Amino acid sequence: MSATTAVRPIAFGPSLGRSALVLGAGVAFVAVAAGAAVMSGTSDIGIGDVIAIVLHRLTGIGPVTWPASAETIVWELRLPRVVAGMVVGAGLACAGTVFQALLRNPMADPYIIGPAAGASLGAVTALLLPVATVGWLGLGLVQLLAFAGGLLTVFVVFAIARGQAGTPVVTLLLSGYAVSSLLSAGVALLIFNSGQRIAAVIGWLLGSLGGASWARVGFAVPLIVISFSLLLVRWRGLNALLLGEVQAAHLGVDVEREKRILTGLAALATSAGVAISGTIGFVGLVVPHLVRLAVGPDHRLLLPASLLYGAGLLVLADLGARLAGGIPVGIVTALIGAPFLLWLLRRSVRGGR
Amino acid sequence: MASRPPSRPLPLPLLFLVVLVAACAAAPAGPSPTASGTDAASAPSSPPPAAAFPVTLTDDAGRELVLASEPRRIVSLAPSNTEIVCALGACDRLVGVTDYDDFPPEVAEVDDVVIQASVDVELVVDAEPDLVLAAGNLLTPTVVIEQLDELGLPVLVLYPETLDEVYADIQLIGAALDRGAEAEDLVDDLEARVADVVATVGEAERPATLYEVFYSEGATYTAGEGSFLASLLELAGAAPVTGDAQGVLGAEELVTADPELILLGTASYDPSLADAATALATVRARSGWENLAAVRDGAVVPYLHDIVTTRPGPRIVDGLEALARAIHPELFEAGP
Repeated sequence: MSATTAVRPIAFGPSLGRSALVLGAGVAFVAVAAGAAVMSGTSDIGIGDVIAIVLHRLTGIGPVTWPASAETIVWELRLPRVVAGMVVGAGLACAGTVFQALLRNPMADPYIIGPAAGASLGAVTALLLPVATVGWLGLGLVQLLAFAGGLLTVFVVFAIARGQAGTPVVTLLLSGYAVSSLLSAGVALLIFNSGQRIAAVIGWLLGSLGGASWARVGFAVPLIVISFSLLLVRWRGLNALLLGEVQAAHLGVDVEREKRILTGLAALATSAGVAISGTIGFVGLVVPHLVRLAVGPDHRLLLPASLLYGAGLLVLADLGARLAGGIPVGIVTALIGAPFLLWLLRRSVRGGR
Repeated sequence: MASRPPSRPLPLPLLFLVVLVAACAAAPAGPSPTASGTDAASAPSSPPPAAAFPVTLTDDAGRELVLASEPRRIVSLAPSNTEIVCALGACDRLVGVTDYDDFPPEVAEVDDVVIQASVDVELVVDAEPDLVLAAGNLLTPTVVIEQLDELGLPVLVLYPETLDEVYADIQLIGAALDRGAEAEDLVDDLEARVADVVATVGEAERPATLYEVFYSEGATYTAGEGSFLASLLELAGAAPVTGDAQGVLGAEELVTADPELILLGTASYDPSLADAATALATVRARSGWENLAAVRDGAVVPYLHDIVTTRPGPRIVDGLEALARAIHPELFEAGP
């Protein structure tokens, strides 16, 4: 994609037909992935029963013809996991899109300025504390400390990088890198001393939707939905920032304010997601690129499309992880996403445009 | 150029939001009817409750569990739990075990709900258990135990770390299964056998003994200080060479400790170590090992009973007896 395509949408926007096609396909993708994920699992429950159970729980209609265990599996295990996958995937893809635009860096992902390292330190500390589970709103200490750690880290990084003349992107990136390294050293030290709890620690760090419950989903969903809803309406600022900060300022964007808001919202979505699922890699990096290669850089379409494809990809990857005997979902996201990204890259290079 | 692009609503993502919010709103916050329904559904298959039920039990994690009736469908998340259930004559009640379960042989027929050390909660629920026997010490991850609790499944967490705790767990499972008398008999028998071993090795010299759990790149994994394995080695008439709390013994510490006897627990899994001569040659080649007293004297014994020695079920006493035979062959006339 050339630089001119980056400018064009500010004036004209993507075509209505193309937008409808991309978003429609995205919704279909999410629906198919979610349907497949609710209907498949390691236990044998007929598709008819799954549909009947979901309908019964949503509307109360229909006689109960299935064993109670089937209802528990579908409603308490699979469905919260699917919803968590959708929302975390959507949040990560959105946050990734925002950071790639904000930092004008193709390697940017939701974790780039530190929320993953902060959340990991919080979660691992909680996992290793010699106390019984302290719960709040159905959440464990692990989730709460992960959320707080992620959010706090981004605030600290931003505060460090902020100077008289604003917050230079390079300073933000570097201070994010330095703070992440510091926190990662703390995590590594804790891992080294974790003894028998190492399996729990590593499991968390690799990321999994296995612990999803309605309580955890209920905590993360509102936070992520609020943050990506607010991000979706800020596409103008993001498009302007793509041109460069000076140019964006000339277009009438309050660059510093925009940066603060975008960083805060993206950090909120990321931290809430990480809190309930651990650090799931790749979704936030690759989905924005995939979608950008397909639809171009206009955030009016890029953001909602990334959101949808991120949601679908994570649900699908988690299904694969479940069926493959509970392997970490990050492995599957990379296995699905990386070849696809490479294929799109090759195609765009060969296309010569 | 238009100063503002035409503003266009984004109905599809918003629809997506609405669906998400609706799905969450429909989710019950408290214990769901499903969870309580599980208990109700399995109750009719039980016989009229015996006098013992309802019974209140306290597990090794200090959690209280009330069993309204005798459990008929048991899921065991650790081979040691499985062995206790079977030793109490309730093997036929197992409806889910781990893929490591190998004793008694008939448990191979039971469906696996733990695969490669990872608990498949969906399969646990699908087995419709009225009692789940989890393992402690994070062998069953905390998150899984929390999830089973939230789903309303009755869970007992067991993690014996001494012989007395193995006895206590046998009695706990006995109480849960209304097999209290059988549990009592089993514990009496085990205690008598342990007393026999202790009496037999009582006055003998205690060789400094290294039990090799695993060896990697200079670090030897052995009995941890204060561990169950270390206490068994002591009962079996050895002075155990222990590592840190994790059982790790560095190369220099090993040379300093200079064991007189080395039991290769690793030989239980590595056939190349099962032959005494090959095993001796293998360990002699490790850096720093050739001058250990045990290696010089050829006191390196392939030990083939690691499973019973490290699995805290009723066969742990078989393990203790095997250890005593390996450490003091002269005191035991006919070994198995």
